[in-house]
Amino acid sequence: MEQYIIDLLTTGAIVLFGTIGLALFGIFFGLLYKGVDRKLSAHMQGRIGPPIRQPFRDVSKLFVKENIIPENAIPWIFNLAPLAGLIATISILLYIPIGGFEPLLSSKGDLILILYLLIIPSLAMVTGGFSSGSPYATVGAQREMVTMIAYEFPLAIIIIAIAWKLSINLQNTNVFALSTITATPIWNFVGPLGFLGCLVLLFVLVVVTPAELSKIPFDSPEAETELAGGLLAEYSGRNLAMFYLTDGVKTVVMASIIVALFFPFNIWRMIGLDALPAISLEAIPIYTAEIIFFLIKVLLVILFSLTLIRVSVARLKIDQIVYTYWVPLTLLALVGLICIMWDGWTMEGHIINIFGFKIQWSAWPSMFKLLGIP
Amino acid sequence: MNLPTFEFTPALVVAIPLLGAFLTPLVSRINDKLRNIFVIIIMGLTGFFVFLLAYDVLAKGIKVYVFGANTADTIQSLENGLPLLRILFEVDAMSVLMAGISVILGFVAVIYSWSFMKENTGLDKYYTLFLLMIAGMLGMELTGDMFNFFVFLEITSIASCALIAFWTNKGKAVDAAFKYIVISAIGALFILFAVALLYSQYNALNIAVLGSMIQYTFLDKIALILLIVALLMKAGIVPMHMWLPDAYSRAPSSVTVALIGATLASLYGVLRVCFTLYGNSLSNICNNLNINVHSMLGTLLILLAIITIILGVIMALRQINFKRLIAFAAIAELGYMFLGIGTGLTVLGNPELAVYGMTALKGGIFHIINDALDVGLLFLVAGAIYYATRENSLNRMGGLARNLKYTTVFFLIGLLAVSGMPPMNGFASKILIYESTYQLSPILSIIAILCSILLLAVFVKVFYSAFMGPAQPKFKDVKEVPKSMLIAMGIITCIIIFIGLFPQFVINTVVTPAAEALVNFGGEKGFYINEIIESFTLGGV
Amino acid sequence: MLLFIAILDTFKLLLKTLSTNSGFWNPLVWCSVIVIAFLIVYSIRSFGNKEYKKDNEQVKTFLSGNPEYEKEQMHVKSSNVYWGFTETLKWVYNLLNKMHTGNVSDYVLWFVVTMAIFFILIGVMI
Repeated sequence: MEQYIIDLLTTGAIVLFGTIGLALFGIFFGLLYKGVDRKLSAHMQGRIGPPIRQPFRDVSKLFVKENIIPENAIPWIFNLAPLAGLIATISILLYIPIGGFEPLLSSKGDLILILYLLIIPSLAMVTGGFSSGSPYATVGAQREMVTMIAYEFPLAIIIIAIAWKLSINLQNTNVFALSTITATPIWNFVGPLGFLGCLVLLFVLVVVTPAELSKIPFDSPEAETELAGGLLAEYSGRNLAMFYLTDGVKTVVMASIIVALFFPFNIWRMIGLDALPAISLEAIPIYTAEIIFFLIKVLLVILFSLTLIRVSVARLKIDQIVYTYWVPLTLLALVGLICIMWDGWTMEGHIINIFGFKIQWSAWPSMFKLLGIP
Repeated sequence: MNLPTFEFTPALVVAIPLLGAFLTPLVSRINDKLRNIFVIIIMGLTGFFVFLLAYDVLAKGIKVYVFGANTADTIQSLENGLPLLRILFEVDAMSVLMAGISVILGFVAVIYSWSFMKENTGLDKYYTLFLLMIAGMLGMELTGDMFNFFVFLEITSIASCALIAFWTNKGKAVDAAFKYIVISAIGALFILFAVALLYSQYNALNIAVLGSMIQYTFLDKIALILLIVALLMKAGIVPMHMWLPDAYSRAPSSVTVALIGATLASLYGVLRVCFTLYGNSLSNICNNLNINVHSMLGTLLILLAIITIILGVIMALRQINFKRLIAFAAIAELGYMFLGIGTGLTVLGNPELAVYGMTALKGGIFHIINDALDVGLLFLVAGAIYYATRENSLNRMGGLARNLKYTTVFFLIGLLAVSGMPPMNGFASKILIYESTYQLSPILSIIAILCSILLLAVFVKVFYSAFMGPAQPKFKDVKEVPKSMLIAMGIITCIIIFIGLFPQFVINTVVTPAAEALVNFGGEKGFYINEIIESFTLGGV
Repeated sequence: MLLFIAILDTFKLLLKTLSTNSGFWNPLVWCSVIVIAFLIVYSIRSFGNKEYKKDNEQVKTFLSGNPEYEKEQMHVKSSNVYWGFTETLKWVYNLLNKMHTGNVSDYVLWFVVTMAIFFILIGVMI
């Protein structure tokens, strides 16, 4: 019983200090990466670009601006939406492996929970846009919702495909838990076909990321040129600053999820240690190296999934977004899924998988008989 | 904790609302207010007995009640090999779960009706029919006899048909009621036919007795198909769902909430037929293709469930009538239940059942509770908006969050719950479904996740059209709805939040026993069937 | 002490993490995270300026400088929401609209069709 109380208190401490620490971490690095992203994209377009600390200045400027609540808005929803988005995004940080370490709450929530929590910031923006009572914001908000529906299809395929593959290889394990996914990288279990499938899924996830963060080419909800900022049209001052911070933190979250799903490699594993050494003075170099390695991985993911795509293509129309995600990308993701599934077939040899409905070989002769084939 | 065992609880659960139904017109003569209080007391009393029964069943296992029981006679007839011609109630964990849902919905609807129906005339008939409907539902869920099941089904159908048409001044309500009665009558006739097929072969009507004797002959197959398809139609599975949006959207909101209970009672019928009546035979019989019959049946159910989910949300996205929209969303939610249940049925008896089949089945059953509450809450909100503004079309609403503050909060909670956002109850049951069905086929989970997002989009649209936007001049005088309606919505909201915060507690206490009661139909563990037959042979009734 | 243990046991039951054999979900832990995060975010937010001029042009809805329409016209109608989605899936909706005739004999027809499918798949094949 004492053990139970100690466990309870430990969880409480993790929740308290983890939330505070990761919130500050997420906000700081979110803004930092935003600055890096802007600098890089400026260089790609042949501009000088703002200094890297520009996002910090933006936020502090927004904090001194007036916080206008339009007369057509519903004030309590209008004010609550930016808060809700940032809070939910911060809460995701506790469930994903930050810095290459185990997630703080690895046994309290899993990948499906993260998938749902990722909806909340977008939902908050949608609600905020709708509640501001402006036609521009309304059009932007409904576009954001449509974009969300659109990219959720390939995203769901990716997540389920990975979990399925792990569940085939690791019986009776919590395959949706991120601690499992990071400890046993998906690449360990795939043959040549599965490797190809994983690459395809990675590509799709990279294309889903800009939509998840409403960046070009999937930024039609905000569309400065046609909708005047879309769902953020009526926001100003500290409320807008909250959305700005949400965007930064969500960038870190998305990049960390890609890292966790596809690149969960750790330095301590690479140099041949059996386990991460306990926190001590000698272990500091390993921990530092781990964190730096993680930050570099996140930076690379942001570079490839946000910056490069952002500078190279133009904005899509909203029905084109739906088409892009529901037809080509979903098909691509399904191809990846099938590759991963048939990979298992070549290895196991006696089971054929048609979307997972396992049919024993022994059933096939009688099936042929039914069809009149000798 | 020794609660006294009430021998007669199963009978009282049905008898109280039935008696109340016939007393209501008399009480109504005295005073309208008295009648309302009387009906609430009757519902409360029924609820009390349901929970007493639930406590009894969950603690001590299956409970059998024989009407007009005479132990000596029963044994005599069994020894002589005579059929069991008694009216039996057989209550296991699954039955009480469903009865609990029905009674909560009924109780809330009655409280809601106090203000919601106040301006209508003919309320004595309304309450009479309402209590009859509740009695019918509870009877369907507690009975252990196929023919009684049919009788209670008919009672429910007729009462609900009359209630759907309660607003006769709107022609569309009568139209919906007509469609409902046609569908119900056809469904019930096929069920009766199936019951006759079974009776003619085995000389028995008791589900447990039939379940232990069934041979799965050709006639049994036909009976199975008739029963399942007719009950699926009554439950509103695509492509036989068309009556449901009509009926749900035209009926008064308080009736719609009770109608959810009636629909779920039909779903319970499907479960009983698949798992108990045919459970023994299905799992033993292999065909020449090496596919078990229950796998085939389960796969068919899963297919229908997937179609139901997709079609439900896609249709809901386009609706502009508030209640019709919720009705389509309710259809989609039904799909989730059948997805979980179908997955459980597919792997019934296989080793996979232990791995993920039970989780899926639990998810499906848990979702029955959650769907009833979430969709019920949304219908109550729709009714509240209608009460306040006299508008049903989303195109003519707007800016109501200023006038209806509490209703807005209730709707927001309903929205999050029905689309399965954490930390509401919908998420808890959906995560069980996602994280088990993917092992049967990843595509099932993918579609389930996708459609849950679509469901969110559907209700965000409603949230926007009804509650947000600039203040409309025509709604300037709209006031918050009366207290009784707020209390009704508040009760459901509290339950939703409780289940949302303590999901594992609910699963452990209610859902797992129900799932086990379904799966352990016979054989060695012999739950439902053996227990009952034993209780007969020992004369322990 | 006994009472304390009883309370603790109930507590344990209530606090259990939902486990699906493939993942977990503990709402209470998430809620406590949310509460703490709310306090942090709210304190960050309170550094910001909360004032604004209420009797000014700036509280009017932004319409690119055009005068505001009547209130009813400022509200985008429900049937126009999600245009991009319905536009892409137009063919699906056409199909579904054809299916939902609202005619009770069609309802019964679907019932018969489903029964036939069940009969073929379960009654005849197996």
